[in-house]
Amino acid sequence: MTALLDAGPQDTTDGGPSTATRPGRRGTIRDRFPGLALPALIWYAVFMIGPVVAMFVIAFLAWPGMLTTPTSAGLDNFSRVFADETFWTATTNSAIQILVGLPVMIGLAFLLAFYVVQKPRGHRVLRYLLFIPALISAPATAMVFYAMLNPDGLVNGALRPLGLAGNEWLADPSTALGAIIAVELWSGIGYSAVLIASRLDGVEGEIVQAARLDGAGDWRLAWRVYWPIAQDFIGVVAMLQFLSMLFNSAQTVLLLTQGGPENATTTLAYLIYRKAFVETDLGYSQAVGVVLFVIGLLGMWAIRRTLRATH
Amino acid sequence: MAQRTALPLRDRIGSITSGTLAWIYAALLVVPFYYFIVSSFKTNEEIFESPLALPTTFDFTNFTTAIQQADLGLAVANSALTTIAALVLTLLLALPASFALARARGRAGRVVESVFALGFLIPSFAALFPTFLLAAALGLFHTRTFVVFLLPATALPLSIVILTSFMRTIPRELEEAASMDGASSLQVLRQVYLPICVPGIATVLLLNYLAFWNAYLYPLILIGPDTAQRTIQVALPTLKVDAGTDYGVLMAGTLFTLLPVYLVYTLLQRQMQRALLSGAVKG
Repeated sequence: MTALLDAGPQDTTDGGPSTATRPGRRGTIRDRFPGLALPALIWYAVFMIGPVVAMFVIAFLAWPGMLTTPTSAGLDNFSRVFADETFWTATTNSAIQILVGLPVMIGLAFLLAFYVVQKPRGHRVLRYLLFIPALISAPATAMVFYAMLNPDGLVNGALRPLGLAGNEWLADPSTALGAIIAVELWSGIGYSAVLIASRLDGVEGEIVQAARLDGAGDWRLAWRVYWPIAQDFIGVVAMLQFLSMLFNSAQTVLLLTQGGPENATTTLAYLIYRKAFVETDLGYSQAVGVVLFVIGLLGMWAIRRTLRATH
Repeated sequence: MAQRTALPLRDRIGSITSGTLAWIYAALLVVPFYYFIVSSFKTNEEIFESPLALPTTFDFTNFTTAIQQADLGLAVANSALTTIAALVLTLLLALPASFALARARGRAGRVVESVFALGFLIPSFAALFPTFLLAAALGLFHTRTFVVFLLPATALPLSIVILTSFMRTIPRELEEAASMDGASSLQVLRQVYLPICVPGIATVLLLNYLAFWNAYLYPLILIGPDTAQRTIQVALPTLKVDAGTDYGVLMAGTLFTLLPVYLVYTLLQRQMQRALLSGAVKG
């Protein structure tokens, strides 16, 4: 968790020892309890923690519609969810999206960051460009891709001269999920690369020179020198992108395909949205929310284990 | 450099691929941009015929149509209002909190701080429906007001982590000197801490400006389709019609959502990049 905090603008001297040596000379109450933090804490509890707690409660209620009175349902919602084919389709889709999308995103972002850090010609332009996707909202990204992927759009237009047949990328069940993953890769690689580059910038020149003298080429330098040094930070970036794919993908899906065709792009996050706001099956929706919450924690733990610091 | 020739083939391929990859990706970033900007001046036929050709005329009909069709003028105003109000509220909450946490010596302070530091773990998004119930319970359903209340809560963890780390760098002696002169806590915050924290505040403002302006799902669910209240991000997708979207109009509308962001990015590139880098804590 400290690695997360280290990503802040400047490293703080974590005033441990110096504060400990000071006895509470002016030990007023505000020194012991940070009272000025109360408004923010209350605000946060009401608007963020409250709804998440409510999600866990609603997951155990039978609540078939907004206007009906909910009754206790025990584990019924969960058994309904686990017996539902759509849920398993959504789980498969989310699994594909993350198991394929995340390694590709992090791998490419790392190579890009490595390239930029070598300061080749045009690296300033590259750095400027890499920030672009981080600035664009989900609707704007989705609309541009919608225009490009439609049957008469740019992608098919580019394939035609090459003699390749176009496709209805978003309407074909075999390509729709791939299209969603492609949109996420497009917007995620740049920002991840910029973050990783900020860490690689800190790798000492001496280490790199020593490796060069040992005859290490770019490929070995990247994976044997830079990657191990930056591994735990790359893990943090991977966790952020993992959470973003797991939860925020619902926006892209909603904007581009509404889960279709035939549930081909229904991810778990989108299923929560659809069950709550389209089908108003509230207990079901929030039960999936709880499942997703658990998957989120497990995934973070798995990434942390795989990419923890090695040095 | 004579060693270069002795490099294993794999290494030479490696250096070629990472460079090629980088520029291919750069092209993939630029082409959609170029495509959507030129498309916003074209008709559907022109877009389909020659997607990458420059527009023959710089005709602004698509822009005026987009504005009329989706009430974009009003939507931009709503977005601006929501964003600014939420930014002010964020600072009002986060500044005193960070100040208190940076100076706290006891365990309570550390506990509160870790509550915020772990905040990004909360999948607030999965809890969209309970949030919607909260809006209804407060009588603020389908209003901008609720979004103005909610957005700062989503931004608090990161804002507080960033501001607290800034405020930690301020020596206590400075504050103690001010206290000796009889200044109250809030005066110390205003007169000693705030001026030094300007870079941190700028980071928090820029980062949250992006997040608030670009917010989509919360405004969609909580403000709803009312044209008088909805934000630009919610208004834009309404230009996409299942049967027969006018792509020129859609792309013209997209430009409206991006313009304010790019304006700020171009003016404050350095600061914006630094803000985005410190945003790594955010989910």
